[in-house]
Amino acid sequence: MAGTSIPTEAGLLRRHLMLSRSASRLQRLGALAARGALLLVTCSSVFAVIFIFLFIFRDALPFFGLRGFAEVFTDTAWYPSAEPASFGALAIFFGSGIVTLGAVVVAVPLGVAAAVCLSDVLPFSVRQFAKPVIEMLAAIPSVAYGFFALVVLAPLLQEKGGVVLSVGACLAGAPLGLLAVVVLSDLLTSRLPDPSRPVVRLVLMGGLCAAGFYGLTQLVQLLLRLPIHSGTNALNVSVILGIMALPTVVSVSEDALHAVGRELREASYALGATRAETLVKVVIPAARSGILAAVVLGVMRAVGETMVVWMASGNAAQIPRPWFNVLEPIRTLTATIAGEMGEADHVTGSARYHVLFALALCLLLICFVCNLLGEWAVRRSKARLR
Amino acid sequence: MKRSTLRTVILLAVASAFALAVQTRGVHAQESTAGSTKIVVDGSTTVGPIAKAFAEHYMGLHPEVNITVSESGSGNGAKSLINGVCDVADMSRFMKEREFKAAVEKGVMPVAHVVAMDGLPIIVHPSNPVKALTVQQVRDIYTGKITNWREVGGPNVRIVKISRDTNSGTYETFAKLIMKKEKIAPDTEHVGSNGAVRQRVQSTPAAIGYAGLGFVDRTVKALGINGVYPDRESVRSGRYPIARPLFMFTDGYPALGTRLHAFVTLHLSPKGQEIIEDIGFVPVTDY
Amino acid sequence: MRLSTRKLLDRSFSGLGVFAILLMVGALLVLLAPIAARGSRAFVFRATVEHRQFMLEESGRGDHDAIDAEIRAAAEVRRKAYDMIARFEEELEAAGRSERRELRRSLREVKDHLAGLLGPAPGNARPVLLRDQYGQTRWDRALVGLGDFLYVTEYDYSDPSGMGRPLLVPRVDGFRGTSLEPLFAYVEQNLERMLRPRLTFYWRFLFDEGRDAHFFGGIWPAVLGTLYLTIGTMLIAAPVGIASAVYLAEFAGEGWLISLIRTCIGTLAGVPSIVFGLFGLAFFINTLGVSDSKSVLAGCLTLAVLVLPTVIRASEEAILAVPKTYKEASLSLGAGQGSTVLRVILPAALPGILTSVIISMGRAAGETAPIIFTAAVSLGRPLSLRQTLSQPTPALPWNIYNLCTEHEAVDQIRHVQYGMVLTLVLLVLLLNLAAILLRARLARRLAG
Repeated sequence: MAGTSIPTEAGLLRRHLMLSRSASRLQRLGALAARGALLLVTCSSVFAVIFIFLFIFRDALPFFGLRGFAEVFTDTAWYPSAEPASFGALAIFFGSGIVTLGAVVVAVPLGVAAAVCLSDVLPFSVRQFAKPVIEMLAAIPSVAYGFFALVVLAPLLQEKGGVVLSVGACLAGAPLGLLAVVVLSDLLTSRLPDPSRPVVRLVLMGGLCAAGFYGLTQLVQLLLRLPIHSGTNALNVSVILGIMALPTVVSVSEDALHAVGRELREASYALGATRAETLVKVVIPAARSGILAAVVLGVMRAVGETMVVWMASGNAAQIPRPWFNVLEPIRTLTATIAGEMGEADHVTGSARYHVLFALALCLLLICFVCNLLGEWAVRRSKARLR
Repeated sequence: MKRSTLRTVILLAVASAFALAVQTRGVHAQESTAGSTKIVVDGSTTVGPIAKAFAEHYMGLHPEVNITVSESGSGNGAKSLINGVCDVADMSRFMKEREFKAAVEKGVMPVAHVVAMDGLPIIVHPSNPVKALTVQQVRDIYTGKITNWREVGGPNVRIVKISRDTNSGTYETFAKLIMKKEKIAPDTEHVGSNGAVRQRVQSTPAAIGYAGLGFVDRTVKALGINGVYPDRESVRSGRYPIARPLFMFTDGYPALGTRLHAFVTLHLSPKGQEIIEDIGFVPVTDY
Repeated sequence: MRLSTRKLLDRSFSGLGVFAILLMVGALLVLLAPIAARGSRAFVFRATVEHRQFMLEESGRGDHDAIDAEIRAAAEVRRKAYDMIARFEEELEAAGRSERRELRRSLREVKDHLAGLLGPAPGNARPVLLRDQYGQTRWDRALVGLGDFLYVTEYDYSDPSGMGRPLLVPRVDGFRGTSLEPLFAYVEQNLERMLRPRLTFYWRFLFDEGRDAHFFGGIWPAVLGTLYLTIGTMLIAAPVGIASAVYLAEFAGEGWLISLIRTCIGTLAGVPSIVFGLFGLAFFINTLGVSDSKSVLAGCLTLAVLVLPTVIRASEEAILAVPKTYKEASLSLGAGQGSTVLRVILPAALPGILTSVIISMGRAAGETAPIIFTAAVSLGRPLSLRQTLSQPTPALPWNIYNLCTEHEAVDQIRHVQYGMVLTLVLLVLLLNLAAILLRARLARRLAG
């Protein structure tokens, strides 16, 4: 094919393009080699994951050989350095769980609300402004968050904790309470005959308002009396972790909301639904897999965070009484690893060293499962919307 | 045009990184009779201030040397020494049998240099009216038998217990001399360093904690233990019940004349003793 | 439900969203405001004559004659105070025995506090620690010291139901009727003339080494360490990450290997940072032995593994965002797949890739947990390029943790801690800002 001999312009061009068979084979070989090399490089992440699992497994398994499985997961006595040592990490798992739960409680409602607002409510210009803010929140190093939690927030909570909490409760409670009063009185009076309805509603509203106000004052008094023994506690860490997880939750759920097409929204508007109704009853359910993915990713961020919890959680390996008392110090998996790695010496192969790797393995598995769950949710949401 | 600006940006970034690296006052690693110019120190947070001050003092005299100091806990210091990743292990406790065994197996011969003496004051907030406790009372507080300051003559306030992380020699000293194998209650807060203990106690009126002598200042109150208050005199005479030596460990005794030797014997020089004293610990030669 | 209620619900729903966004903005402000406000005081503060003296004596900076004159002028004012003490000491000799012991103890405290404010008294031996050789270098710390000098905090334990209440007792009360009484008023009135505070812009805070456990000097070793770690990490992660992204975006089909790779990248992104630290120690230092102690190199390798997924994902997105037509045009002109990628797609995707690299740099700069076991120390010199292969370095994130928890005098060096946090946050935010601007430019270019 390359052997055409007429030196026309077209021929020149063709010769340039169409290579001889041998050359093309060479080139194909080269391309193949390059592709192979690229694939190898790409596989480096696979190797990294394999090595990470391998190394953690290698040092974690001896622990289970030495001490069995039951103790770590069922006992709350964490005395790795005592003689005889006990390695009950239940309280530590609980600690990780409660701060993660706290972070989710802070991050998910706010994050989803913000995402909805960004994708459906606010004009484009505001979004241009809000996006960098979210990115900056995500970019601030965790040690800076930890510094803030330890140096600013902890003393504040300890000295003026009651005031801070009651201001928070009033800020959140008053508008929500008013809204609930309006809606409730409306719902309760909707069956009444017409002339008496406005009167009854007004009376009901007044009564409910009074009751709500009374409840709020009681709550505030309760909060003001709360004994806060230390500012480095589960609440402090939960709030900070929640703020750290917010950007993830916002951006992933915004993507999910975007993926829900215009058609669904327009159909809903056409049926006379308000924007809120459309969002709550149509868009969010349609995007629920994506939002689930957002929650899962937020959880991963909170579970794996080290510096903030190490600096500001108090590191007490206990299950507070009652368990939901977030004003007590707790201890998490990551902080335990970071804090105790120093003493545990792998040269002597003590159970104390291996238990930390066992905890790391659990942490790794939690994150692995979360990741799989998140990927599955994303895939499902894509498939469903297609 | 746009591509060229982009390229300029990249070039500038690379160039500035390079310039930074070159501009840094480089210390050329040179092997000489005085040994390596690099000394890596790792270990106890209690010994940390001494090691840092020694390092700065020594580097001030010998600008070609780079001494790095990490404060990661006594156990970590021992581990690093055994693995050969540090030259000097600061420890606020003695090496354990297991650690010795592991070291010898790896061909490392740990040699202890006692650099200073340290007491372990039990500290409370200065607003706390309690002035002194017995060892038994401290133990009962930390095991959770005593939970209220009222039970030891203070006001009716719940005790907030602060302890060091279990990776510290300070913790081990406390566990050995005070707790006597009893377990610390699980609601005790654990913090990562002596400084953090003092900070927590100083900001928490109901707190109790313990830290090295050099970390205790006017912002906290050191309690008398069995009637003895911790100070230089009572620590060195052994009357204060919670006292201990502070160590630096090296692999074998460093060859005479090397920089390492000079560094780990600094505490024997008058300057070294003055440094130790000024930081707040008790020099070993102070008898 | 009534229409008005539905409308109200609708509005409140929007309100909740706006509130959430405002809360984020607020959180950012609340977080950054103290850091910016107090961090800047590490750079701009009212420096006393002690600061200038320190600078002159330790690093030869400043106008020798002017500072000498200032020191003399300050010493002139200080001498009166020292004279008062000397006179009082003479007087003390004449006092009764028990009274003398009591007064002597109080006098020692007074002298200690004065030494803390003004440095060692003339005639005394030069202390060995730098922190004791100079008085307060910062006026804000000097005011705190003045408070301690003038007042003793005693506690009133009369209320048995609670903790003691702090009472500020003027120190002068203990010396009423003695010749030391006027000292306190004198120092209070003349402290400004003794220390001569002047607003100073200490930009060298960034470029000075810390002296005497950060009581003096700056944070250059940590800044440089962070720069090394960040740049080194990117030198390793960027080629690998971009190559992976190219393969995944351009060459990979659908198959078990590819989906395995993608799952692994996702998993890697989710591995907690502390686990990376353990892995880096076990793999790079103890198994591969890239260096015989912690080192910048080991830290870079560990951080590179950590940021790899971020680089891959963002670069892949950038490559996929290149319009298909570019590629088709190149292929139809007869260019091979390889040269299409190299000459057409990568240049077009470069700003996007650069964005991802910059964002990952920010991540690498701020990570603490992975470098605890692999690279970071609390004290060390700034390293030369060659030393990075074998020696550990201070780094901003670790030193922030170290200084605000482990330092023996945490309260006295708050400004250094805040200064470090500010530097780190600024570094990361500037990197992110660069990325945002780059992306905005990219969006404009793709749009027009």
